[in-house]
Amino acid sequence: MTRREPTFFDQEARLAFWMLFPTFTVVLAFVIFPVIWNLWLSLKAVSLGDLRGVSLFEFNMTLENYRKVFGDPEFGTVLLTTLIYTTAGSVLSILLGLMAALLVHGEFPGRSMLRGLFISPYIAPVVAVTFTWSFILDPQLGVLNWLAVDKGLLAQPIPFLSQRWWDLDLLGVRVRVPMALTSVILFEGWRYFPFAFLFILARLQAIPDELYQAASVDGATPFQRFFHITLPQLSAVLSTLFLFRFIWTFNKFDDIFLLTRGQAGTKVLTIRVYDYAFGEFNIGASSAVAMILFGVLSVFLLVYFRWIAKEE
Amino acid sequence: MSRERLEKTIIQILRVMGLLVFIAIVAFPFYWMMVSSFRSLGEILLKPANLGLDIRKINLHAYYEVLFQHGFLRYICNSVYVSVVTVVLSVTLATVGGYAVTRLRFRGREFMSYSILLIYMFPAIVLVIPLYVMFSRMGFRDSINLLILVYLAQTLPVALYMLRSYFQTLPPEIEHAGLIDGCSRFSVIWRIIIPLSAPGLASVALYTFMIAWNEFLFAFMFLDTPEKFTLSRGVVQLAGSVHLSKQLVMAASVMVTLPILVFFLLFERYLVRGLTAGAMKG
Amino acid sequence: MASLTLKAITKRFGQILALHGVDLHVDHGEFCVLVGPSGCGKSTLLNIIAGLIQQDEGSVLIDGQSVDRLAPRERDVAMVFQNYALYPHMTVAQNLGFGLRMRDVPKQIIREQVLETARILGIEDLLDRKPRGLSGGQRQRVAMGRALVRRPRLFLLDEPLSNLDARLRASVRLELRHLHREIQSTIVYVTHDQVEAMTLGDKVVVMRRGKVHQIGWPETIYAHPADTFVATFIGSPEMNLYRGRLLHKDDRTHFQGAGFSLDIGGLQLNLGESELEVGIRPEDIAIGHGGTPALKAKIEMISDIGSEKYIHARLGQESMTIRAPREAAFQPGQVVPLTVDPDRVHIFHEGRRISWPAGSCSSSK
Repeated sequence: MTRREPTFFDQEARLAFWMLFPTFTVVLAFVIFPVIWNLWLSLKAVSLGDLRGVSLFEFNMTLENYRKVFGDPEFGTVLLTTLIYTTAGSVLSILLGLMAALLVHGEFPGRSMLRGLFISPYIAPVVAVTFTWSFILDPQLGVLNWLAVDKGLLAQPIPFLSQRWWDLDLLGVRVRVPMALTSVILFEGWRYFPFAFLFILARLQAIPDELYQAASVDGATPFQRFFHITLPQLSAVLSTLFLFRFIWTFNKFDDIFLLTRGQAGTKVLTIRVYDYAFGEFNIGASSAVAMILFGVLSVFLLVYFRWIAKEE
Repeated sequence: MSRERLEKTIIQILRVMGLLVFIAIVAFPFYWMMVSSFRSLGEILLKPANLGLDIRKINLHAYYEVLFQHGFLRYICNSVYVSVVTVVLSVTLATVGGYAVTRLRFRGREFMSYSILLIYMFPAIVLVIPLYVMFSRMGFRDSINLLILVYLAQTLPVALYMLRSYFQTLPPEIEHAGLIDGCSRFSVIWRIIIPLSAPGLASVALYTFMIAWNEFLFAFMFLDTPEKFTLSRGVVQLAGSVHLSKQLVMAASVMVTLPILVFFLLFERYLVRGLTAGAMKG
Repeated sequence: MASLTLKAITKRFGQILALHGVDLHVDHGEFCVLVGPSGCGKSTLLNIIAGLIQQDEGSVLIDGQSVDRLAPRERDVAMVFQNYALYPHMTVAQNLGFGLRMRDVPKQIIREQVLETARILGIEDLLDRKPRGLSGGQRQRVAMGRALVRRPRLFLLDEPLSNLDARLRASVRLELRHLHREIQSTIVYVTHDQVEAMTLGDKVVVMRRGKVHQIGWPETIYAHPADTFVATFIGSPEMNLYRGRLLHKDDRTHFQGAGFSLDIGGLQLNLGESELEVGIRPEDIAIGHGGTPALKAKIEMISDIGSEKYIHARLGQESMTIRAPREAAFQPGQVVPLTVDPDRVHIFHEGRRISWPAGSCSSSK
């Protein structure tokens, strides 16, 4: 083979390599490597105290951590809580987002200001909004409880974020509401509806007016137009949104951690990761839970890229 | 009344009511955050259900206390430093990398574009423990510059993906004209791509700023020394140390919220574009 | 000014063969037009000449020197794009001067050359405007100016007129012709419009599906199309093309089509009874007696385009278009006799032209 001089295009390929090199390095070091390292840790008996020792690199693998995690009597409850929190939180945020988008859709004065306002829960730092809501819902100093008691709506303040069950008398039927979990789910809806709102609004604006005009000419009333035109046009974005919200809520840590620390029946898998590591000083078990989260995420991503992304 | 008219009236009524409810629920926490931060501890304890804001009684003492006694002046500087450096690095690297992925031909380009998207779906909670272990062991976990690198890894894939989508909307012929007119690839980026992508770059910068400014988990896990705290980390610290003085926590919350909301209102157009283009993680 | 040679240029995009061993030579000062339907590879070829796309095989030579390893900026060519690709953030003057600025030409000289070019193109009063505020025609001029100002060795024009409205297109076409005569530069011009190709080109290259079908002067291509594709692609209305066989009867050759027979004179061909195609341009058919035996067609429809009429008729089982003067008075439904000059009939075997001694150019009567 004759050695040929590099052409302009060979140089371009080399240039591309150098242009992507910094990004690649940072991502490799701070995303890819930790995942692999996490897998390694999950297969070893490591405690928080061992971090400086040599045992971290010894090649003695064990499935003990996974056995511990799955064998934990709490595991079933935590998984159930996670699923309820994730599903309800996703659905609620999308429903609220849909409502908000329908309310804001159309032309009226102050529309862009409203849009701005509606996005703010999502823009604001998580620490600020969680502490504000904790304050509002606080049983001693919270404005909500005080107002409700003042107006005679409640006999006594409710610790929204720190009580596991709330017995409710509904027309003679006693219902046990998981109080803290419900509060956390409602917060989830409040904070993340803007995400759905933005996407649904964008989709709504993309529906051609001609469709509505044609339907009006065909005699469809406003409600019929909504059910026969708007909703079908939104179905794709709604299902994609659900998938994304589900994935992200499933892996959400900050919100619950800051609101309840996982107390009062709000312990989800992500909180478990933290608890194992910094409550029980068991890094191995913590990594094992993280690997479970990662596995679930991978399945969802696979589903998304294999089926949903293809259709769009 | 025809069915059309009837339904339209119902829709109008529902709409007005719905908007009022939504506005109340969305705005109230922000209102309450601000109002409470202007109160004294006494007011908070004595009249927790006082919804109004008495302008004559605005009390800025909480801000004074938070800034000067709880070290928030320092935290503000740290947060600004972390966010600005992250934005500058992230936007620069993402511009260069996004351009390479969009326009240059090289092996593995398709793979690159795909994996960018995948990587940005990786949840922070999965990464935080191994990174914690690794950097604790190496002994430089408690570092603000390390935090910047972590934020860079968190923002770069999104930023690159967003810019790639933006660059794809630019007609390649303009760059071809530049190449024929005598530009190298770097001068194409500098003289043609950057001027043409100003709105896209603004979206990415704003979005990256938001991620870095708001980030809580890594700051919480990595930083031990109060002098290195970011605002978010500082607020958590403060909330844990004062029990009844909610006005302090609210004042601190206002401080961390206000800049991002102001930015957002000023550049709303760009941020909305960024949020929908990047399909934000959160 | 320079010559351009392409040697066996081949390019694949994945599975698709975009260019298939293209050879071409363009002389100093020649105006060469690449024409073909969309997707024929003509724009790809232009991009390869500019160095924007790399060919898989083959070589590009400018003035006999290979430029394959050179970056676009080093090839000293200029290009005008279909969408003009003006720099939107620069004024017209900055757009024109950009190429010179990138080559570190002193500011004073840039100013002079920009002014000079603007004067030639009549856009002096636009120099401070941004492209956004210009009309399509003005943008087109600026795009031309940006190419012109650098006096490159080679001009590459990629459908530069296709975004203009029809009237403007005709006048810019004329100007382009004048401009070329004035500056005597080598031009490679890509278009899908055969009228542009025929009116502008010194040399026309007809392409389809990555292959060159014919290279020649416009007159040659029109009069002696190399194959059925060129025959039908060039010329409007399209050439009538019929499939059939040759029969020899009393020293004369007849073409037996579907439901009609055409006398094509004393042609002697050794093709036996094999199937072939016969092409007749609409203007080579006269309505009226003359041929023996008379060819008869039934008029179905008449399109009056003002300057002339196109008569759509049925000939046997085939349809036929005839170009008639505007005074021609016929009615649909009428059956008319036709005359075809055997010398103007094109014959194709297996798609390729059979060169027989007659032809419309050397019509010997």
